[in-house]
Amino acid sequence: MDATRNGHDAREYKSDLKPIWCPGCGDFGVLTALTRALANVGRPPHEIALVSGIGCSSRIPGYTTAYGFNSVHGRALPIAQGIKLANPDLLVIAAGGDGDGFSIGGGHLPHVVRRNVDLTYIVMDNQVYGLTKGQLSPTAALGTHTVTSPEGSLEAPVNPLLYVLAYGARFVAQGTPADMAGLSAILEEAIRFPGFAFVNVQSPCVTFGAPEQQLKAHKEGLKQLAKIDYDPTHRMKAMALAQTYGRELWTGVFYRDPSPPPTYDALVRERQRALAADALPRERILELFAQHDGEPGRAEA
Amino acid sequence: MSTDATRSGGTAPMRAFLEGGHALAEGAIQAGCRFYCGYPMTPSTEVLEYMARRMPQVGGVCINVEAEIEGINMVWGATGGGVRSMIASTTNGMSLMQESMSEMVLGRVPAVIVNMGRGQGDYFQCTRGGGHGSHRMIVLAPGSAQEAVDTAYRAFHLAEKWRHPVLIYGDFMLSHTSETVTFAPPPDTLAALPAKTWVTDGARGRKPRLLTSLGMRLEGESGSGPAEIGPGGHSGTDTTRPMRDAVARHREIAAVETRVETAWLDDAELVVTAFGILGRFARYAAKLAREEGMKVGYVRPYTLVPFPYDTYAEIGARGIPVAVFENNAGQMVQDVRLGVEGRAPVHFIGEISMDGSGFGVGPKIDALHVLEKLREVHPRRGAA
Ligand SMILES: Cc1ncc(C[n+]2csc(CCOP(=O)(O)OP(=O)(O)O)c2C)c(N)n1
Ligand code: SF4
Repeated sequence: MDATRNGHDAREYKSDLKPIWCPGCGDFGVLTALTRALANVGRPPHEIALVSGIGCSSRIPGYTTAYGFNSVHGRALPIAQGIKLANPDLLVIAAGGDGDGFSIGGGHLPHVVRRNVDLTYIVMDNQVYGLTKGQLSPTAALGTHTVTSPEGSLEAPVNPLLYVLAYGARFVAQGTPADMAGLSAILEEAIRFPGFAFVNVQSPCVTFGAPEQQLKAHKEGLKQLAKIDYDPTHRMKAMALAQTYGRELWTGVFYRDPSPPPTYDALVRERQRALAADALPRERILELFAQHDGEPGRAEA
Repeated sequence: MSTDATRSGGTAPMRAFLEGGHALAEGAIQAGCRFYCGYPMTPSTEVLEYMARRMPQVGGVCINVEAEIEGINMVWGATGGGVRSMIASTTNGMSLMQESMSEMVLGRVPAVIVNMGRGQGDYFQCTRGGGHGSHRMIVLAPGSAQEAVDTAYRAFHLAEKWRHPVLIYGDFMLSHTSETVTFAPPPDTLAALPAKTWVTDGARGRKPRLLTSLGMRLEGESGSGPAEIGPGGHSGTDTTRPMRDAVARHREIAAVETRVETAWLDDAELVVTAFGILGRFARYAAKLAREEGMKVGYVRPYTLVPFPYDTYAEIGARGIPVAVFENNAGQMVQDVRLGVEGRAPVHFIGEISMDGSGFGVGPKIDALHVLEKLREVHPRRGAA
């Protein structure tokens, strides 16, 4: 069952660390779907970097055989960009929770999107802070009761799909472990996409999450884009669909740019190649500073 | 939570059985704090969760913020508007807030900031900080739930008295130890504070005010604002002034606000010292040592900044060795050495001792362990 057409096996991508997630946590399904997707993509584990922030979901790198680490809360995306730009040959995946990605780390999201760095960002969205035991998350619905909003929250949630689309992301999808086949297909497509790809996974917290956010409810309410006549090449249509976040559970690819432009990392490499010819030899490096007129570094070779 | 302390108003002292973190939170409310924000992280989450229930009841605001950086800056704004405000965070979150904390010292924003840390590894962070610009905090380290209450009062008092942010440094053990505490009636320590002539609460009918760390002052603005009026009456800018002022202010603060708890120093042959709740372990170990015939004295700095250097200088002058017990790799020991000035041996007897969660409550936090260490470093070792 786990062996794929290219000879890789999902088990290759699972480490022998036993997850300490609560039994039934949605993140188990994400881990399985991710290792299946990676097996299908077929890059060997040592060519994959998986980086996360802090949270229950952010433990995921440790449970795979990819290179990677838990970093600090909210910073998975800048670290992932650093990895990709310094080592463009790696396949880079960032992962974490909704708090990690949309609260403390929310400020990083527009920038990775507008740069279009070639990496995949998987958010395990459970509408609550799992690791710190049940506080209000930025994706929790208005009026949610938690230990930090005992009378119900007063703020509207962020809509991850909508705002990532609004920033200009070129691949935006949503999945749930209630549909494992669908989830691993989405993750695979996201990983293969050339450019920044965002997957919001509705990954229930069985311990602190609301009953209507559990897998059972997902199974009952699930609406698959693959099953309707939906064309994911229209950003505005995707944005209209994304408005249903929090009310309806649509899964599948909301938006995929039909002609993705070059990624930031590709452009960087192009520029490096273009300028390499102009590089001064080391013994003439001071000339760079001596030239006040004209373009530095463009002295006659 | 269902305690006397949950009822505000009245003048009778309130008694309640509370965890240290909750006691501190209630203390802040009793001290008039009406704006609180926090981002969850154990063990400061406890303060946030208490405030979330309690603040709306007393007409205050509690926000589960987007992250610590948003939080400290909201507190800056709320304080600048004249409302007593507080944020509690933990270790990592404190690291994030350093920039604003530094500017709040220089800009003289009297907020109260709490670090409920993990272990005592943030001593350097709290007393030196990762911040910039010649800033120093005022740092208080309560050692019990009652002292947490009193420290909340004192922190707001000092903050407004000196127009200076105040940092309270506690830890997991303080936050989670339940004890009976008494809340004094409307805290008299907070009665006679200077009028808030700096508050930016709307300039109708008066000159505008500028709360800034940049050395700017509005033309004609009075008071000790960090600026000078340039030639021709134009407001000029002296960018070093806030820093020089902050340094000078700290000398004044050190002269009158330094607090330290001591015991059995008169005949001491060895002094054990610790801060925060670990002081209680050190004190008890000293008592046990005395029962064994070792004359051990005890010192617990309550103000970590200003540090009670003089107390240690006196001990150094008498040549009495000092054993420093901390739950870290040796941080306060440096201040003790500065205090003793090389005139007596200083032994570090602490270590990083954590539980499985890394919250800082490890097996070495034990009076018998401290006693064992005291036996090792006692000058009459083996003779006792
Ligand atoms: C600077 C900082 N602040 C706070 C924390 C505490 N903290 C750890 S994880 C977390 C949020 C967890 O929620 P989420 O990111 O949604 O992940 P989940 O645990 O639900 O998977 C918080 C607040 C921290 N580690 N660092
Ligand atoms: S607390 Fe929630 S998110 Fe964390 S492991 Fe348990 S079920 Fe999963």
